[in-house]
Amino acid sequence: MSIMKIENLEAKIGDKNILKGLNLELEAGKVHAIMGPNGAGKSTLSKTIVGHYDVEITGGDITYKGKSIKDMEPEERALEGIFLSFQHPVEIPGVNNAYFLRTALNAKLKYEGKEELNAAEFLRAMKKHLEMLGMKSDMISRSLNEGFSGGEKKRNEILQMLILEPEVIILDEIDSGLDIDALRQVSEGINKMKDGKRTFLVITHYSRILDYIEPDYIHVLKDGKVIKTAGPELVPYLEEHGYDGIKED
Amino acid sequence: MNLITLKNKNAQEVSTLLETKGQDSLIEKFTSLGLPHKMTEEYHYFDVEKLLDHDYKTLDYIPKSIEEGEKVEIVDGVVIKAPKGLRVYSEICESIDMEHFDGLYYLGHLLSPRVIKIEVDGDAHVEILHKYTQSDALINYRVEISNQANRHVTMYENFETGDISNTLVLYGYDMHIAQDSTLRMVRLQTMSDNKYSMVSSHNVNVGKNANVVLKNFDLGGDNALQVLKVELGEHAHIDAEHLLYLNDDSKRGTASQIIHRGEHSTSRQVAKNILDGQARGIFDALIRVEKTAKFTKAEQNAKSILLHKKAYMVSKPQLEIYIDELEASHGATTGQLDEKQLFYLQSRGISYLEARKILVIAFANTLIETVKDTRHQERIKDAFEAVFYASNKE
Repeated sequence: MSIMKIENLEAKIGDKNILKGLNLELEAGKVHAIMGPNGAGKSTLSKTIVGHYDVEITGGDITYKGKSIKDMEPEERALEGIFLSFQHPVEIPGVNNAYFLRTALNAKLKYEGKEELNAAEFLRAMKKHLEMLGMKSDMISRSLNEGFSGGEKKRNEILQMLILEPEVIILDEIDSGLDIDALRQVSEGINKMKDGKRTFLVITHYSRILDYIEPDYIHVLKDGKVIKTAGPELVPYLEEHGYDGIKED
Repeated sequence: MNLITLKNKNAQEVSTLLETKGQDSLIEKFTSLGLPHKMTEEYHYFDVEKLLDHDYKTLDYIPKSIEEGEKVEIVDGVVIKAPKGLRVYSEICESIDMEHFDGLYYLGHLLSPRVIKIEVDGDAHVEILHKYTQSDALINYRVEISNQANRHVTMYENFETGDISNTLVLYGYDMHIAQDSTLRMVRLQTMSDNKYSMVSSHNVNVGKNANVVLKNFDLGGDNALQVLKVELGEHAHIDAEHLLYLNDDSKRGTASQIIHRGEHSTSRQVAKNILDGQARGIFDALIRVEKTAKFTKAEQNAKSILLHKKAYMVSKPQLEIYIDELEASHGATTGQLDEKQLFYLQSRGISYLEARKILVIAFANTLIETVKDTRHQERIKDAFEAVFYASNKE
């Protein structure tokens, strides 16, 4: 069953057309990997799905659970269950990490008509996630991402994902800047979320992350279009022949 | 009294109008600087003439017997309470700075030759509460603060008002910071919706090896200008931080001069300004390094966020340097909230308005959280959120 359908999507950043009639269907509960060379439009695709201010959609549509999201505000898309783990999470001095996480969680609970959590309930709920991700407890009392190492930032992204429990999870170059131990812990957090219901869109240009997060589908993106969709058997072929060796479907 | 009558008057005329006796040198200083007007540099953006040109009711400043209280309480310029063990009294001021750049500093001393003297012995925490109750009045008073060598004093300054519409408050400190001592002054000002004006003209003299920290949280409305002159002796240091939050059509800010006179003196001046509505903020700040102040370190920075297209910030950080042997830097930035940060919060389901509030409060917190005492820090945070949320209702 499809949870998200992208049809003939055209989008630009500034004057530059980047997505040029992209088609992609995400099957619910599956792991979809988007691979492609630098400049293919992978990050623009993720930005377009979450409603980034840089991107202007010039054609096509994105439907999520049968509803077009292209005119939705970014926060509405998030509340509907779409989550982007940023490649470069922004630092926000002065915003306490725990306060931010609780605000985000309570916004979601409120949207779903559930009771919001107080500070003590929230900290209890978060403790197990921190342990699993190997995060020091002081990281949640620091300013959001401020002074965090690359690995700490990525762990903090996964922590948000675990807390917010989204339905479609976009991981944009989640492995960049991670050492082996951090990659293993981050992957563990991601795999914990794989329950056959959540859908993952893993954006990467190296296959390394796919050793840890097993994909169901590989989509090759080149020059703003998906040129090939196949199973995980495509990964070794790509490693051997590169993106130039792929012929459009 | 209408202060504008003092405009362009000679010393004799000023003396007659103010009915002064034996204050010739002060009169001379005042007339040489003149009553501030729109071409006076530090008042250029403040519309001071409009404030001076008003018939104000004058008050009697008759010293009262001072009751014992938890804090120094000054009502309409008269001390009514003070903590036990603190010497607070009224006396003719004999330590007026004769090189101040502000005409209103001298006018303040001319109008109130007797000042409120606060002498702090030993290490102490002192709270000063200014209360204003009179409308259409000129409330003029000055406070002189001195401490002892090798001692550490922290002062918290707060304000309360009744109906003070159309009142002009002229007050200010003469601070004498003794050698090897520390003075921390945390000022919180939230007076608003009163159609009042305030000019607080201060003079701070920092002795050898002394350390001064001035933290000013200016969250009020209407019109207020803090005019600050600081002189630093050898190895003296000042940290002057200023958080300004403005809304509606208020005009507020700081005009300051920090003068390095002693060798190895250091200064750090930080201003964070948040402006909404049609407000105008002022940060006109000069650091001057004299020939005698070799090996000075001076740092000055102003960051401003404009939340409305009609808000206007005047940032003028300036360095005036007469030696080569120093480290100095200054800078100013003015802009909107960071789009990337806003988007990041929105991408986690936080509404645009809530995200905006979080970022503004975070910007303010970077200064508020430097207040060491957590009780006062929380009080200032609450005050900031109260004024910010009051003017940013969803």
